[in-house]
Amino acid sequence: MTITARIEPFGETLELKPGESVLSAILRHGKFVRYGCKHGGCGTCRARLIEGECTLDDRTSFSLSDSDRAEDIVLLCSAYVDEGEATFDVSKLQDLTEEEFHAGLQIDEYEAEVEQIIEHTHDIRTVRMRLQEPADMRFGAGQYVEVEVPGGNDEWRAYSMSNPPHEKGVVEIIVKVIPGGRFSSRLADDIRPGSRLRLRGPLGQFAVRLSHRPMIMVAGGSGMGPIRAMVHDLVAKGNERPVTFFYGARTDRDLFLVDEFRAIAAAHSWFEFIPVLSEVERCETWTGEAGLVTEAVARRFEGFRGYEGYLCGPPGMIDAGIELLIGAGCKSRHVFFDRFVPSG
Amino acid sequence: MAATLEQVHEKGKGYDWGFDYATPDPKYPTRYIMAPKGKDPFRVLVRDYMKMEAEKDDRVFGGLDANTRYKNADVAEPRWVEALKWAVPAFTDAEYQAIKGAGFLVSSVKNQELRQGFAAQMMDEVRHTQLETQLRRFYLKNYYDPAGFDIGQKALGNHPTGTLARASFQAFNTGDPVEVSMCLNVVLETAYTNPLVVALPQVALANGDQALPTTFLSIQSDESRHMANGYSMLMCVAQEPDNIPFLQESLERHFWHQHMSMDTLVGVVSEYNAKNRPWVYRDVWEEWVVDDFIGSYMNRLAPFGLKPPRFLNDVARYVDDMHHSAALALAAIWPLNFWRTDMMTDTDFDWFEKAYPGWHKRYGGLWEAFRGMTDPADGQIPMQALPALPPFCQVCHVPCVMPRIDAPETVVFEHEGKRFATCSSQCKWIFDLNPKIYSGCVNWWEPWHGMNLADVIETLGYVRPDGKTLMGQPHLNSERMWTLDDIRKLNYEVKDPLRADD
Repeated sequence: MTITARIEPFGETLELKPGESVLSAILRHGKFVRYGCKHGGCGTCRARLIEGECTLDDRTSFSLSDSDRAEDIVLLCSAYVDEGEATFDVSKLQDLTEEEFHAGLQIDEYEAEVEQIIEHTHDIRTVRMRLQEPADMRFGAGQYVEVEVPGGNDEWRAYSMSNPPHEKGVVEIIVKVIPGGRFSSRLADDIRPGSRLRLRGPLGQFAVRLSHRPMIMVAGGSGMGPIRAMVHDLVAKGNERPVTFFYGARTDRDLFLVDEFRAIAAAHSWFEFIPVLSEVERCETWTGEAGLVTEAVARRFEGFRGYEGYLCGPPGMIDAGIELLIGAGCKSRHVFFDRFVPSG
Repeated sequence: MAATLEQVHEKGKGYDWGFDYATPDPKYPTRYIMAPKGKDPFRVLVRDYMKMEAEKDDRVFGGLDANTRYKNADVAEPRWVEALKWAVPAFTDAEYQAIKGAGFLVSSVKNQELRQGFAAQMMDEVRHTQLETQLRRFYLKNYYDPAGFDIGQKALGNHPTGTLARASFQAFNTGDPVEVSMCLNVVLETAYTNPLVVALPQVALANGDQALPTTFLSIQSDESRHMANGYSMLMCVAQEPDNIPFLQESLERHFWHQHMSMDTLVGVVSEYNAKNRPWVYRDVWEEWVVDDFIGSYMNRLAPFGLKPPRFLNDVARYVDDMHHSAALALAAIWPLNFWRTDMMTDTDFDWFEKAYPGWHKRYGGLWEAFRGMTDPADGQIPMQALPALPPFCQVCHVPCVMPRIDAPETVVFEHEGKRFATCSSQCKWIFDLNPKIYSGCVNWWEPWHGMNLADVIETLGYVRPDGKTLMGQPHLNSERMWTLDDIRKLNYEVKDPLRADD
């Protein structure tokens, strides 16, 4: 049965996972309300329950007075909806504008012109676009945009930026060409330099977290995109944290941007690039890592305690990567991933 | 029609006050350019705020009454309660310095909305000081061995842990107002009060103590607002690019210093004074300080050009070891303590080895040696076995055994003809930023040089009411207590390790 929370005065209904606090759901859905400690201590995320029922955990005992409780004041970080829908009103307690509430997303629509299409392999392309209106987008390395399939049917496909944010006015995406794909298949056809595309974004929470921890990055297929943006962004910011980037492909004809990453590795001692091929029997000269990319990761490290993991690519690779990292000491909250699911 | 919340806030901004009873100028000037308008982080008038706080106070005092009735102090692990003899006064020192700090900020900040926030914070800090004094009274009246609680604040003031606390917390009210807020609101309260006031009560509960959580969770309910004060202050200055280098330097300095004191203090108390440990301090630090403070809070400041502290890697390296070294150093000088030390047992060894792989090899041997020197009949104390006493850091005042007691990174240097030591090159960097601030304080050993240890203890007043039994003991056995005579027989003479002629 679906559990939902409705947030007034914005009229936003959000689905909750079982056991998820209302605040967590708001943030997970890319919305925003003011909050502080997230554990019922500070009273910042106050709201009034105006319809339905919720349970409050006992961490609120100091921060909500009896008169608060009598007036159905709750703390969203400690409020849980057990069944059905509950409606919370933040208008009198948070003086939050609608703009701020939605600012978690901070998305806009852009018009872009295709500047170049780079053919990396038989099925991988980079589409480089110059933003026209607005002329620049503030995004974080790891985020994605939605690109409208030309034709005006309001069909959109999601692609991560593969260029770093400091490159102004440009959005690059790495696209895997899928036969019959509504967007990707047209790269060989009517989407070409000079074509105009509509973009919506930036979206997504995939990003390098600030910390001291060494990072293991794993990508497969077009999952290279956001990792490339992150690595270039780290270079630009003078990173010193160790980064080991494993890229998995089937055969050597599926590898791309290898020289670019090897050049970064040569220039920066903190960076190591390890391409891994799963079908080496089909390659003539490959002497590098072989097998599944996650197997190569396991071979290279004794354990992952104190590491952060960044995974991007097909769901099977992500699942295997999460299991590997967490199983050998990485904390689950330090594993970040973006599943790439082909949408045709 | 009723006024909207926004209208009420706008009206509230008009409620400023003059300074006909005090000098309107701050004690220290600021080098920052500060925006005249800010955002009142409390969003409530002081008068209304006080009503809320009064209710919270009532609940704490009610809770302590209940703890007394249920004889909770008898249930708590003595190993744990002993630590509170110095830790609670140290926290109280922080609160007291913060009262002065918030008051100083009220008179320094020409921004009415921030001033409202700091005024409310000042009241909070008074409240916290009173609550912690009451907490110490609770243990004094109810714990079976109150010696040390009776002279808590004074005892702390004379002890190395007191020097550490003073050095750490005086920065709450001394210096540029923006940097005072950086130290108090941003670094201490935002990064470090969660380990201190949320995680530490979990350890208290796991060790049977209900009184400390009753008090500390009430205190923590204020801290998030103090964090908001810091954020508002940062927003007031971060938009001016000329301020950013100053802010960055201030962050580097205070983050390192508060890390040295708070990671030592919370790490030692939560792991070496617990029988039952609900978590590993290293993990708590990773979650609250790195993931929340660096990963989330600092991330929001990145667009202004502020970067995470450059010493973060070194802080992470130190957090693996420093509280183990500090616990050993405190155990080694047990006759100079005003609480009893319970030496680590084989059960503790197993926990530490699992939580910090390699612990036994680094620290186990010393604990084994120390626990063989606990009976006064044997006439041995760990201080006799040390090749030399460790100096205390001239900046943060931890013992110079950091991060590892077997591989300290101590820097010894001369300044204006006098020898000093810092625990690390980072504290030396802080010293060099402003030697005048740090060179005036005498090293803790200096006044005692050449004195018999028994005379030092007597002068410090760390003796029980019978006039002969020490407050400090290397065990929790009430039948085998050390006396001044036991110590005097050892003929141990204190030697200042930094004295040039030795």
